[in-house]
Amino acid sequence: MSDDTHTYIGFEEYSEHVPPSIPSAVQQATSRFVDGRAARVAELPQWEQLRQIGSDIRLHTIENMDVYLTRLETAVQAAGGIVHWASTAEDARQIVLKIAKEHNVRLAVKSKSMATEEIGLNHALEAAGIEALETDLGEYIIQLAGTGPSHIIVPAVHLKKEEIAALFSEKLNIDAPADPIELARIARETLREKFLAAEMGISGANFLVAETGTLVIVTNEGNGRMCTTMPDLHIAVVGIDKVIPDWESLTVFLKLLARSATGQKLSTYTQFITGPRRAEGEFGPKEFHLVLLDNGRSKVLKDPVGREVFKCIRCGACANVCPVYKNVGGFAYGWFISGPIGAIFAPQMLGTPAARELPYASTLCGACADVCPVKIPIPTILRHLRRRVAQGDDFAASTMPAPIRITASLASLALAQNWIYRFGTRILPFFMRIFKRDSWIPSAPYPLSRWTKARPLPPFTASFRKWWNVRSAKAKPRAGTGTTSE
Amino acid sequence: MNNTVIENIRSSLGRTEQTPLSLRPAIYESRQPESVDSETEHFLEEVRKVSGVAQKLSPEGVAATLKSLVAENNILKATLWHSPLFERLGIESILRSLGVDIVSPTADKHDMALCDLGITGADYLLPETGTLVLRSSAEQPRAVSLLPRIHLAIVRPEMLRPDLHQVFAEAKDSHYLVFITGPSRTADIELTVTLGVHGPKNLYIWMLENR
Amino acid sequence: MPKAQLFITCLSDQFYTSTLQNMTRLLERLGVELVFPHEQTCCGQPLFNNGFENKTRAVALNFMRAFSKSDAPIIGPSGSCVSMVKHHYPELFPAGTPEHALASDIAARSFEFTEYLVNVLKVTDVGAAYPHKVTYHASCHYLREMGLKTEAKTLLNAVKGLELVPLNEEETCCGFGGAFTVTYPEVSRSMMENKVKNIIASGADTVVMCEPGCLMNVAGGLHKAGSDIRGMHIIDLLVSKEGVV
Repeated sequence: MSDDTHTYIGFEEYSEHVPPSIPSAVQQATSRFVDGRAARVAELPQWEQLRQIGSDIRLHTIENMDVYLTRLETAVQAAGGIVHWASTAEDARQIVLKIAKEHNVRLAVKSKSMATEEIGLNHALEAAGIEALETDLGEYIIQLAGTGPSHIIVPAVHLKKEEIAALFSEKLNIDAPADPIELARIARETLREKFLAAEMGISGANFLVAETGTLVIVTNEGNGRMCTTMPDLHIAVVGIDKVIPDWESLTVFLKLLARSATGQKLSTYTQFITGPRRAEGEFGPKEFHLVLLDNGRSKVLKDPVGREVFKCIRCGACANVCPVYKNVGGFAYGWFISGPIGAIFAPQMLGTPAARELPYASTLCGACADVCPVKIPIPTILRHLRRRVAQGDDFAASTMPAPIRITASLASLALAQNWIYRFGTRILPFFMRIFKRDSWIPSAPYPLSRWTKARPLPPFTASFRKWWNVRSAKAKPRAGTGTTSE
Repeated sequence: MNNTVIENIRSSLGRTEQTPLSLRPAIYESRQPESVDSETEHFLEEVRKVSGVAQKLSPEGVAATLKSLVAENNILKATLWHSPLFERLGIESILRSLGVDIVSPTADKHDMALCDLGITGADYLLPETGTLVLRSSAEQPRAVSLLPRIHLAIVRPEMLRPDLHQVFAEAKDSHYLVFITGPSRTADIELTVTLGVHGPKNLYIWMLENR
Repeated sequence: MPKAQLFITCLSDQFYTSTLQNMTRLLERLGVELVFPHEQTCCGQPLFNNGFENKTRAVALNFMRAFSKSDAPIIGPSGSCVSMVKHHYPELFPAGTPEHALASDIAARSFEFTEYLVNVLKVTDVGAAYPHKVTYHASCHYLREMGLKTEAKTLLNAVKGLELVPLNEEETCCGFGGAFTVTYPEVSRSMMENKVKNIIASGADTVVMCEPGCLMNVAGGLHKAGSDIRGMHIIDLLVSKEGVV
């Protein structure tokens, strides 16, 4: 579990007042990605085979992670890079701050990085008087707006062009028109100056290739290239789960990633960075640092069911098909990884006391598992984490409120002692008759009121058992009366 | 040095320093190439699908095509890789004759950023995705394909490789590689596709025909 | 003569008496000799899916006892409940125990209703007639856990007069999800409303599905939306003789 204690994630509370603009914007994005993905997958007859191999390799890497990380470290060092190990988020922040101070960094440009969001790096840099600027257009917009991402691939999708124009006008002191192309041009010009001025570039990585110590960064805009090419200093902060064995493995993941994420065959830019620059004139950083972030991952590895979450290659395909995500958006998940993968990631990284609602934020419909390019059994892990919340396990005690645990015990008793159930079946229709209007129950007492506030309940009929008995007695006195004496 | 991260991982996985690596699962087979002509067409077609402008060109056609590119795009400053091919084609002198300023590819980044056009070659080409693969060196500086608003790559069919497998086998020891698949793009504002957000807005690819 | 045991599921037991009656009549008409184990209650899925595995075992044992008095196949009108028995019962008990062996045996002979008709009895035309525009909602566990992609449509296509019209987002969850409806009522509502919107847009006068849970949710939603589109369990449609002289 992460060392930074996280505030409680109130999924339910958020879900009760989702701003209506969010689902509509999010659904526009997800439906485009879903269609794009489907088209790319249809083109590739070996898709299912690739998914299986991708899954096998990720699992293999997780099970041998110490070996691959050791190889990675050796290879990065051999290439002239400097490796730092960060056990905690605080360790990682201090490592980056120390390097930044040593190099008198005043401005750092950042390429989209989940790991730096995880450790709250921007905040730490700002506190030390270092400007940390997000440069992915969507991340830049939400940084200006001071909000979090609503979608993993298009983080500012919840904002309309008019809102972005107003934001640019206010923050950049210009008169920005509500036109996406113009707004992108303004961002290009503004950020271009920053790329050229920054003393430090900060990135994450999509993959770390243990074989050669290579950082693989996939982007579309080119900001990732700018951050790792223009400043003389490059620091990559990367979770230890991003390691893969070798370049042969990479052939699989590069084929899976963009197709699953955006419906592209390959993203526009894929960089393979092995250490700092070798020649003065080639551009690229003089100094390259890799911060390998644990922050609780090594503890999660102990759980053979839960650790499959580390197979994730952060494509967002699971969120794009998730009907829950599509109706609440990314903010509801209260962490920087949202959607179904966030619902199994956050409770393991932040602990179930903070994130106990997330494993329940699913109907277990299974659409996510169908599209996951590395076959993470998301519904299985959701159920696994629900068990951790409901009854506790080796990793955490139960965090389920007592009334629900008591209700579950009573339900178990009633359903296991069939005479109680059958008795209930006889009296319930009479009791519920009070609430019946015409052929529906428009509003029922708690907890069924939570059902009827959205739609009526059909009336309790519960007369099949009686019908069966009467019919059996009449028609076939000896046959098929079942196995009881009733 | 005592590495607690590695120790914690081993303890969670029930491993020690001596535990051997298990066998990595096998990788699928590479795609099989077709004829050079059809691989070339495939490549050019894929480049067009990702908003690149791709064409076949004879060495004799370079001067005229470059002239119209410069005129159409109002190119005043250009930078290019040091390449024997470009010298043979006389790229630099053609550009100078068109009144274009040549900026050294190893110039200061601020000067490079003022270039309208950056001309590179490529080390490998991937037909399936329309991808240019570029190594980095003092002769092939990374900024040439990144800072100018227009990127022109002059390539040859010999650079075609069937699949990622072959490119990686040849290039994995390189300290820097970049794959370029189309011009810089974003859809971050209301999902409107916009080209040229941080990298080049236009990507031209000229495939030199062998003769 | 094939024999089968009726697994009525607690939801249908409470809410859909006529569907269970129709299931009985239909199977008997197809020559199946039925047994009804009265001791059955609920399969335990609500407890299991909400993390109370410990409390699920006693419920599963009750079910297993009820259905082990006969070795006949177990037929239920719900892909979700059958999937619980078929896929999750064996997970509840450690391998090598008698309970595990029994759970595996029960799992192997559990079938969803349409699956039993089409794949076991090899019946695709039950002689039904229903001259209406009908659209189909693919329920999640029926579709993904049970892998039943064609069975319902095969049966519907054989119904006289029935015109099957496509449903946009046919395979998207309707927002039922069991306890999810009361855990996150607002999210469940949005999902249900989206499903209802698509059903109305399909132009059908009837929406059919193979899951009592989804039916409660969707039919209730249609009613709330003021629509007169009928929500039906496929069993109720398959006994229709409408328009047959």
